[in-house]
Amino acid sequence: MSNKPSKLQDALMLTDKGYTDLKAAIGACTLTNFSMLLPSIVMLQIIVELIGPFTGSAISWTKMWTLFTIGIAGAIVVFFCNKNDYKKTYVASYMESENARTTLAEHIRKLPMSVFNSKNLSELTTNLMGDVGTAEHVLSHVYPQLIANAISITVICLMFAIWDWRMALAIFISVPAAFFIVIASKGIQAKLGKKHAASKLEASDQVQEYIEGIKVIKACNLDGEQFTALENSLRTMRDLAIKFEFGTGIFITSAQMFLQAGIALTVFAGTTLLTGGQIELIPMLLCLLVVTRIYGPILVELTLLPELFYHQIAIKRMRALRAIDPMEGDATKEIKEYDIKLNDVSFHYNETGEETIKNVSITIPKGGITALVGPSGSGKSTISKLIARFWDTTGGSVEIGGVNVKELDPEHLMGHMSFVFQDVILFNDTIYNNIKIGNMDATDEQIYAAAKAARCDEFADKLPNGYQTMLGENGSTISGGERQRLSIARALLKDAPIVLLDEATASLDPESEAYIQQAISELIQGKTVIVIAHRLRTISSADKIIVLDQGQAVEEGTHEELLKKKGLYHKLYTIQQESLGWSV
Amino acid sequence: MKKNEKPKTGMARLMQLAMTKKPLVIASVILASLAAVMSFIPYLAIYQIVKEIISVYPNLDTLNQSALFNYGWMALGGMIANIVLYFGALMCSHLAAFGTLYELKVNFSSHIAKVPLGFHLFIGSGKLRKIMDENIENIEKFIAHSLPDIVAASVSPIVMALILLAVDWRFGLTAILGMAIAFVLQMSMYGNEGARVKMSQYQTAIENMNNASVEYIRGISVVKAFKQTVYSFRRLHDTIKEYTAMVIPYTLSWENSFSAFTTIINHIYLLLLPVGILIGMNTTDYQTYAITFIFYLIFVPSIASILMKLMYVNSDSMRILNGIEAMDKILAEPELSEPDHPKTTKQFDVAFSHVSFSYDVSQEVEALSDVSFMAKQGEVTAIVGPSGGGKSTIAHLIPRFFDVQEGSVSVGGVDVRDMNREYLMNQVSFVFQDVFLFKQSIKDNIRLGNKNATDAEIIAAAKAAQCHDFITKMPNGYDTVIGTKGIHISGGEKQRIAIARAIVKDAPIVVLDEATAFADPENEHLIQKAFEKLMHNKTVIIIAHRLATIRSANQIVVMDSGYISETGTHEELLAKEAKYAAMWRTYNQTSTWTMKTKGSV
Repeated sequence: MSNKPSKLQDALMLTDKGYTDLKAAIGACTLTNFSMLLPSIVMLQIIVELIGPFTGSAISWTKMWTLFTIGIAGAIVVFFCNKNDYKKTYVASYMESENARTTLAEHIRKLPMSVFNSKNLSELTTNLMGDVGTAEHVLSHVYPQLIANAISITVICLMFAIWDWRMALAIFISVPAAFFIVIASKGIQAKLGKKHAASKLEASDQVQEYIEGIKVIKACNLDGEQFTALENSLRTMRDLAIKFEFGTGIFITSAQMFLQAGIALTVFAGTTLLTGGQIELIPMLLCLLVVTRIYGPILVELTLLPELFYHQIAIKRMRALRAIDPMEGDATKEIKEYDIKLNDVSFHYNETGEETIKNVSITIPKGGITALVGPSGSGKSTISKLIARFWDTTGGSVEIGGVNVKELDPEHLMGHMSFVFQDVILFNDTIYNNIKIGNMDATDEQIYAAAKAARCDEFADKLPNGYQTMLGENGSTISGGERQRLSIARALLKDAPIVLLDEATASLDPESEAYIQQAISELIQGKTVIVIAHRLRTISSADKIIVLDQGQAVEEGTHEELLKKKGLYHKLYTIQQESLGWSV
Repeated sequence: MKKNEKPKTGMARLMQLAMTKKPLVIASVILASLAAVMSFIPYLAIYQIVKEIISVYPNLDTLNQSALFNYGWMALGGMIANIVLYFGALMCSHLAAFGTLYELKVNFSSHIAKVPLGFHLFIGSGKLRKIMDENIENIEKFIAHSLPDIVAASVSPIVMALILLAVDWRFGLTAILGMAIAFVLQMSMYGNEGARVKMSQYQTAIENMNNASVEYIRGISVVKAFKQTVYSFRRLHDTIKEYTAMVIPYTLSWENSFSAFTTIINHIYLLLLPVGILIGMNTTDYQTYAITFIFYLIFVPSIASILMKLMYVNSDSMRILNGIEAMDKILAEPELSEPDHPKTTKQFDVAFSHVSFSYDVSQEVEALSDVSFMAKQGEVTAIVGPSGGGKSTIAHLIPRFFDVQEGSVSVGGVDVRDMNREYLMNQVSFVFQDVFLFKQSIKDNIRLGNKNATDAEIIAAAKAAQCHDFITKMPNGYDTVIGTKGIHISGGEKQRIAIARAIVKDAPIVVLDEATAFADPENEHLIQKAFEKLMHNKTVIIIAHRLATIRSANQIVVMDSGYISETGTHEELLAKEAKYAAMWRTYNQTSTWTMKTKGSV
């Protein structure tokens, strides 16, 4: 065995072990196929024995009993072959799909954030669950049988050809024709299959959205078919499924008909040869008997092939995901200082899109508060995400303590930063464990201390199981302010030297807000703090304020300096002061 | 359908679902049975040929060649008829299946929108999606493949048994005995309780894996940020491992019976053999005996292929039944009741009268306790209080996202439970804190508020909601699809689209649930302008945290731990020096807070 993965291994995206297992499974399947010839051979012998008296020889009952014994032995062999084959194919394929899921999940976690921006949730989960499941099915039900059948059919065909080439020709001449039909129609089948698979994905996506937007759906009276986007995608999926079934079915059916024409041919050839004295009676009868059974495995082949074509689509999709390069970098490089520098940074989300950040050069001094302000869409959040290397810049560089972040392993870089973002993502786990995510090595005391400092006590104590209360899917059971505090507790626990803060704009009740303000004050002590500010009042005492507009840094300075300038900052500040006074 | 009809379970339920498209299903079943019967013809033809030849042997000159050729054609004809009929059966069954799936999915999605919202808080979206994507999808296999196969596999053994018995009852009985053994084995594999329990464990393992992967992918940004990819990865990994740990022994538990089944159906001739030998040793008419025996030997293998189909039918059905059970469980969640004699109203005061409500009846703490207040038409009623005080619950009860347990919520004096659900929804506009936009065009997102709105009305609403400007700046204007690459919409912009949605709906009651939540400095100003337009001359119920914004509300209801602690105007409440006055002080403090590190000034 060579070290280089073979074509098949590569085509199925198998690990070395998976490939070895697959070969073993194919071997086992082939063995089963040959064992299944045993009953046919014994049966033919019985028939030969029964015909004996017509050709002049007497029947031997002893021989019949012997055949019976051989038959029983054969049955035992068949049983064990089946058992062996069953075990090999299933266990191997389940192990392999565990492997594939794990590897894929591993791979996904290393992908740049940009992937999660462009690929949606359901596509990625479909990849992880559905496609691997499909591959699992191919491995257990399709490949071993397909190859084993091909092997045994070829062997049987050759044996026949050596024995009597004329009858072999009659029996097998239709096989290539049948395969030709299936293989020639691969293009059409693949096209239909692709469309069908795409419509499935689309429908699945719509379902996810429907469920997530259920509140709006209810409020707008759009349940079920009223919600046309979902209804349309389900309808399209139905229509394409029908087309796909019909499209592939028609080819397979005609291939099957072609194949079975061999029965008539064998009868014609056999009788002609027999009356012409060209063939003995027994061989001719054997051919007749064989021809009723021989097409079984070939028919299976014909139906397995299109399944294979269809599954190739799933494998292709997995391959595409696997082909996305993970973000890489040095995991050992030390960051000694925490001043941050953006040198002529440009960025756009995708190739065709316009630049979100245009030639921004700014410095963020260590150990102080720097605020990024600007109208919505000005690029504040994007800059904070570039600093954290959620994305890589498309032009220019981001440096922390003189080190280009592109040279750093993303996770290593993250180790130096804490985040408090608006969209807090929580896990279906206890409050305690959700905080612990900040630092898995933290002791109980540290965790409770962080929770307390972030003012989580106030709500956790009210819950039936305190910190051990489960949060439900994405923490659906607690309020926005509580989520914020949880995420601050995480950040406190992490205690990273750089703090990225997307100042919460979600309006909270005054009490919650006061708690959060206290929590934030705890978090930022002695850190290099970058605040994406929405309410300008809160950052009025920041050490540095950077004003962004349409992806460019337009002003910087302290609150007082900027107000004096009477520029964009001044304008924003004035509008906000006005709206603070607004009342319904 | 009668309401108190007992819901069907198991196979009966599956059949009920399959029969949604009755004519197609029946056509398919008939075609499949005919196909199965046709599949015997080649065997019969071959047998006839063998018989013809043997009866004249060795004088082959007298052999009637054209008769043999005819049998050849007959064999071919039988095969082709079998294939064509089976194809026809499958096409009918697929049409039926896909049609049924479509209807089931539409029903299911419609149902989950009609159950109280609380249901969605406690059930993962992964689970619901799996039901739509997999459980319902799996029914296809049953209707499209299993059903015709089951019927064919039941009809053909009967036909076969008749043929077998007609030729020679002794051989016939033996062959039937063989089939019976295979059948019994089959039933013992899948029919027992242990198998069912295992099956549902298997389903749970898959479900857990699904939920874990949704969570894993959703949470990836966080776990990356905390360098904790391993943690959430481990959770997913655990479920993957659990699945494997479950599925391997589960599959292997069939190992013996599956192999035995395959072995038996391929060896029925071994039962015939001793019977044949015993009959043969005592026969006087050897020729008839030999030909009969040969007939059985040729014919019996055709049993294998038919019984083999049954094998997969059973294992598939088990899986499908479990899936249906999960679906039915959710379909059984009671929908909010519809009144028998729906009432309407011309007046739009919203009144809460001694309302008590809790999300989880088993818990002692009520979300609302004995809440009574009246929000008058044309006035603004603000609801304030700490989080968990019950503010959002009030907003949720008006459109009947939940039903109250005690007291009543009424609009214009009519209990909301006495109104047609659709009618009620049409009277209320919402702007929620968590704005959800669908991945559709902006125009369609606004149109969700009112299906019949013209483009002009949509644009007018967008203008009023201060979003016309940024929409027209988008690459495709109003046709820009949300969520496509490169389209980024800020929280404030989303909020204004939601307001436009509410404006285009133009309902007499407006509920704003923490709707000023997302706002950039300049956005906030625009959102406020948008509100003014929306609230004009409506019954407005606003849940707000920024107390300044509701200072001039006609009435302020202060909630605390599910109770109303006080009501009044801003001035009245301040004068009381109670809860509200304290909140107002805290509020003023927080709004002057600035971020500071100790070192800086």
